[in-house]
Amino acid sequence: MPGPYSANAFTLAPASPQAAAISRLFVGTLIFLGVVLALVTLLVLYAIIRYRDRPGAPEPRQNFGSRRLETIWTVVPILLLIVLTAFMAYAMHTGDPAAAVDDPDLRIVAHQWWWEIYYPKSGVIAANEIHIPVGHSLSVELRSADVIHDFWVPQLARKIDIVPGHPNYLRLQADHPGTYLGACAEFCGTEHAWMRFQVIAQPPDKFAEWLRAQKAAPAAPTSPEAIQGAQIFADRTCANCHRVSHTVASASIGPDLTHVAGRRMLAAGALENTPANLGAWLHDPDEFKPGSHMPNLQLSKNDLNALVAYLETLK
Amino acid sequence: MKEAAIPDALEGESFAVEAREGWLSWVASVDHKQVGIMYLLGAFFFFIVGGILALLMRVQLAVPDNRFVTPEIYNQLFTMHGTTMVFLVLVPLLIGFSTYLVPLMIGARDMAFPRLNALSFWVQIFGGVMLYFSFATGGVNGGAPAAGWFSYAPLSEKAFSFSRGVDYWALGLLAIGVGTLGAAINIVATAICLRAPGMTIRRLPLFVWMTLVNAWLIVLVMPILNAALVMLLIDRQLNAYFFRPAMGGSALLWQHVFWAFGHPEVYIMILPAFGIISEVVPVFSGKPIYGYEFVAASTVAIAFLSLAVWAHHMFAVGLGHTFDMFFAVCSMAIAVPTGVKIFNWTATMYQGRLRFTTSMMFALGFLLMFTIGGLSGVAFAVVPVDWQMTDSYFVVAHIHYVLFGGTVFALFSGVYYWFPKISGRMLSEYLGKWHFWLTMVGFNLTFMIQHVLGMLGMPRRVFTYPALPGWEAMNLLSTVGAFLLAFSVLIFMINLAISLRTGEAAGDNPWDAWTLEWATTSPPAAENFPLGVPPVHGRRPLWDLAHPDRTDEMLMKLAG
Amino acid sequence: MPDKNKLGVGLFILSEANFFLILLVAYVYFHLQPGQGPSAANSLHPLRMLAFSLCLFLSSATVYLAGRSFKRGRGNVWLWLALTVVLGALFLFGQSREYVGLFAHGVTVSSNLFGTTFFTLTGFHGLHVLVGLCALATLLGVALTGRLGCIKPAGFEAISMYWHFVDAVWVVIFAVVYLWPLIARMTA
Repeated sequence: MPGPYSANAFTLAPASPQAAAISRLFVGTLIFLGVVLALVTLLVLYAIIRYRDRPGAPEPRQNFGSRRLETIWTVVPILLLIVLTAFMAYAMHTGDPAAAVDDPDLRIVAHQWWWEIYYPKSGVIAANEIHIPVGHSLSVELRSADVIHDFWVPQLARKIDIVPGHPNYLRLQADHPGTYLGACAEFCGTEHAWMRFQVIAQPPDKFAEWLRAQKAAPAAPTSPEAIQGAQIFADRTCANCHRVSHTVASASIGPDLTHVAGRRMLAAGALENTPANLGAWLHDPDEFKPGSHMPNLQLSKNDLNALVAYLETLK
Repeated sequence: MKEAAIPDALEGESFAVEAREGWLSWVASVDHKQVGIMYLLGAFFFFIVGGILALLMRVQLAVPDNRFVTPEIYNQLFTMHGTTMVFLVLVPLLIGFSTYLVPLMIGARDMAFPRLNALSFWVQIFGGVMLYFSFATGGVNGGAPAAGWFSYAPLSEKAFSFSRGVDYWALGLLAIGVGTLGAAINIVATAICLRAPGMTIRRLPLFVWMTLVNAWLIVLVMPILNAALVMLLIDRQLNAYFFRPAMGGSALLWQHVFWAFGHPEVYIMILPAFGIISEVVPVFSGKPIYGYEFVAASTVAIAFLSLAVWAHHMFAVGLGHTFDMFFAVCSMAIAVPTGVKIFNWTATMYQGRLRFTTSMMFALGFLLMFTIGGLSGVAFAVVPVDWQMTDSYFVVAHIHYVLFGGTVFALFSGVYYWFPKISGRMLSEYLGKWHFWLTMVGFNLTFMIQHVLGMLGMPRRVFTYPALPGWEAMNLLSTVGAFLLAFSVLIFMINLAISLRTGEAAGDNPWDAWTLEWATTSPPAAENFPLGVPPVHGRRPLWDLAHPDRTDEMLMKLAG
Repeated sequence: MPDKNKLGVGLFILSEANFFLILLVAYVYFHLQPGQGPSAANSLHPLRMLAFSLCLFLSSATVYLAGRSFKRGRGNVWLWLALTVVLGALFLFGQSREYVGLFAHGVTVSSNLFGTTFFTLTGFHGLHVLVGLCALATLLGVALTGRLGCIKPAGFEAISMYWHFVDAVWVVIFAVVYLWPLIARMTA
C-alpha cells in the first residue's frame, strides 16, 4: 500500500515564501494563544487551590463585580486582537500574493478523484503529479470538472477551494528541490481520501528536461507483448477516457496516460506505481479505490500482462 | 386512574386530562417537566447512537489503509455523526433543560404554550426517526446521507448523490427544525410573559437569560436553514437549478445560506451551556456571579455578532482578501465577549469557598476545555492560519473542544446539579468523580493529538490515510481515547441507573442554591409551586430569604 | 407584560419573514445578471398581476375591519371575513392564471434559473396565502354558525396578524419580481 513516506506535509516546515509567511504567523499566533491559555489555567488552578472549602475557610465574600476589571479585560483583549489583525493583514498579503492572470503557467482541473495538470504554455498534460522549477513563482488556475474540491500542499501554499463555476488562482513556488505532498481538502465524495497529489520541485534545468520528455511522443512499443497491449488499449475502449499523446486516444475523462510509467504513484496516491501494482489496479480497481470511475474491464491474465507491458513503455 | 389536572390558571383554559400512570401518560403529557425529561432522554439516546457512529469511525481510522468499513459506509457514518450530534443531541439537550427549568426558575406553572411544547418534542423525534430511516433504505438508491453534515452543493445534488440519503437528510432536518422553532417561540413567550411578580428582566437567573437570548437566535436563523433545505429539495426532486453550477446555479449560494444559519447554530449550541455554568459556579463558590450585567450583556453581543461572521467558514473559497478581512475582524471581535465570560466565571471563584462536587468539577473542566477550544477558534479567525488549518484535523479538534469540552461538559455539570431536583435523588458523587476523570482523560487523549495531525497535513472527512510518519501512532492514540470516552459514558449511565433507584434523598435544596427551582419539592409537584412562589426582590430570592439582614439589594448598595 | 399569544405569533411571523428573505436573496442573486431565455422582463404580466395584487392588499383592510367589528361585538363580522376570503381567493386565482400561462410557454421550475427562483418564491408565498385562507374560512364558518363567542380575541388577532404579514411579503415580492424589470427597462 502507499508509502513508506519519509516526509510529512508539515505546515510548519514551509518550503516557499508564501508558506513561510503563513507559518511565521501561525507560530506567533500559537505562542500568543498559548500564553493566554497558560494565564487562564493558572488563574483557575490558583482559585481551586487557594479558595477550596476546608475547615477554617473564611465565609465567601458576597461581591458582585468591578467595573474597572471588566473594562480591563475587555479593552486589553481588543488591543491584543488589533495587533494580531495587523500581523494578519500583512501575512495575507505575503502569504497569498495576487495570482489571477489571463495566461496561467499551470491549469489544474480537479475531477472526482484525480488531478488533471495542464501546462498551457507548452501543451503538456499530466495527472496527479505536478512538476515545477525551483525558485520560480508560477501562476496556477484552478477549475473543477464536477464538485467542490480543494488544493492543499501545506509546505508550499495556502489551501484553496476549487469551486465549479468560480475559477480560483494561486501562486505556486518552491524554494528548494523536493517532493511536497498534497491532498484534496474539501470532501468531494466517495474517494476523497485518495485524491492526493505530489508537487515535485526540480532545479530549472532538470525541470526543462522533464518538460521536454513530457512533450515528446512516447516511444513506440517494441516487444510483442507491448504491441499486443497497445492493441488491447485501443480495442478495450481505454481511449474513451484516457489520452495518450500522439495517438488517437485524446479523452480527458480519466487521467492522461502518456507518461504514466514515469509517475511515482497511481490512482492519485492510492498505490505506489510499480508494474505489479499497475496490474493489480487494472485487475480490480475497486479493491484499491472502491467507487472510483475506473471500470473493471474483466481482463484475462494474458491481456492484463500485455496491457501492463504496453503501459510500462509510456515513460 | 390518576387524574393529572393541568393548572387552570393558564388564561382561563381548563383541560383536565385523565391519564393512566405509567408510560402512556407521558406520551400524552403537556407538562413541561415531563416534556423536558423526554427531550433529555431522547437526546441522550441519540448521543449514544452518534457516539457509536464515532467509535466505528475511529476503528476505521486506527490504522492506515484500513478496510473495516468501505468508504461509502464511512462517509455515511461521519455525515450522520455530525448531523445527529448537532440536531438530535446538543440542541435538544439544551432545549430539554430549558423546557424543564425555565418555568421553575421564573416561578411559573408551565410554559406559555404547553401543547406546542409537546408538539415540538414529538415533531423533533419524528424528524430524527425519518433521518435514521435512511440507513434502512437499501438497494442502489439507498443508504444514509453521505455528503457531510453541511452537505455542500453540488456534491449534494442528484447528479453526485444519487441515493435518497440527502433527501432524508433535508426532510428530517425540516421536521427537526419545526420542533426547534416551536420550542424557541415557547421559551421566549414563557420568559417574557410568565415571570413571577418581582422578577424583572434584570433579575432573571442567567440560565434563563441565556436561554432567552438563545431562543431569539433560533427564531431568526432556523428559517434560513429551512430555506436552504427547501431549495436543495426542489433542486433534487423537481430538477431545479439553485445550486447546480453547470446549469447557471451557484455552489457558493449554498455555502452562504447554510453558514448564515450554521454559524449562529454553533452559538445556539453553546449559549445555554454558558447559562448552566453561570448557575453552577456561583453556587459551588458560595457567592454570586461576578459581573452579572457584563455576563448578560456579553451574551447579547455574542448573539448579534454571531449573525455577522458566517463567512469565516469560507476563507478557503477564494472570495477575496477584503471579504475575508471583514469576517475575520468580526470573528475576532466575538472572542472578546466570550473572554469576558471566562474571566467573570473565574473571578466568581475568588474569595469564595469552593465545593468540588462532580457538578463543579465538570464546570471547571468546561472552563479549561472551552478555553482551549475558543482559543483555537481565534486561531481560525486569523485568515492565513485558516488557509492552512481549515478542513484538516485541526478544525476537527477545535469543534470537539468547544462542543464536547464546552457544551457536553456543561451539560454533565447541569445533570449532576439538577438531577436531584428532577428525580428527588442525588447522583453518586463517587461514581461521578470516576465519570469526570475518565471523561477528562479520554476526551483529551482523543482530541488533543488531532491538533497535531492537522498541522501534519491530515485532511478531514477521509475514510483512510497513507502511512505518513506519525499518522498511524497518533490516530491509534486518538482511537484509544475514544474508547476510553465511551467507557466514561458507560460509568455515567450506571450512575444514573443506580441513583434513580437507590440514590440518597435530595430534599428541596441539597446544594444551598438560591434560584426559585430550589424553593419547591424535589421532584416538583405537578403545578410547580403548590405553596406559592417566594417573594422576589433580587437575583437570588432564596439567599434574600435566608439572609434578611444582608439581602443582595442591601449588599449591592453597600458596595456602591 | 405583553400578551403571550401576540408575542408567539409575532415570533412566528419574524421567523417566516427570514425564510422569505432568503428566498428573495436567491431570486435577486440570480437576477442581477439575467441569462437567456424566459425572464421576469419577458414572461410576466405585471399589470394583470397588479389588479390581483390590489385584491390581496384590499383584503388586509377587510380583515382589519372584521377584527374591529369582532372587538365591538357587531353582527357583520361574517361579511368582512367573507370579503377577505373572496379577495384572497381572487389573488390566488390570478396567481394560478399567471402560472398556467407560464407553463404553456414552457417556463417551469426546471426550465431555467428564472423558473426555479420565480416559482419557488411565489409558490411558497401562495402556499402561505392558502394556509391563511383556510384559517380565515374556518373563522368565517364559525361566524356564520353564530359561535364567534367561542373565539378568543387573541386567536382572531393572531390570524389577522398572519394575514397582514402574508400581504406585506407580497408587497416586497411584487416589487422585486414584477416592478424591478419594469423600472430597469424605463431607466435603461
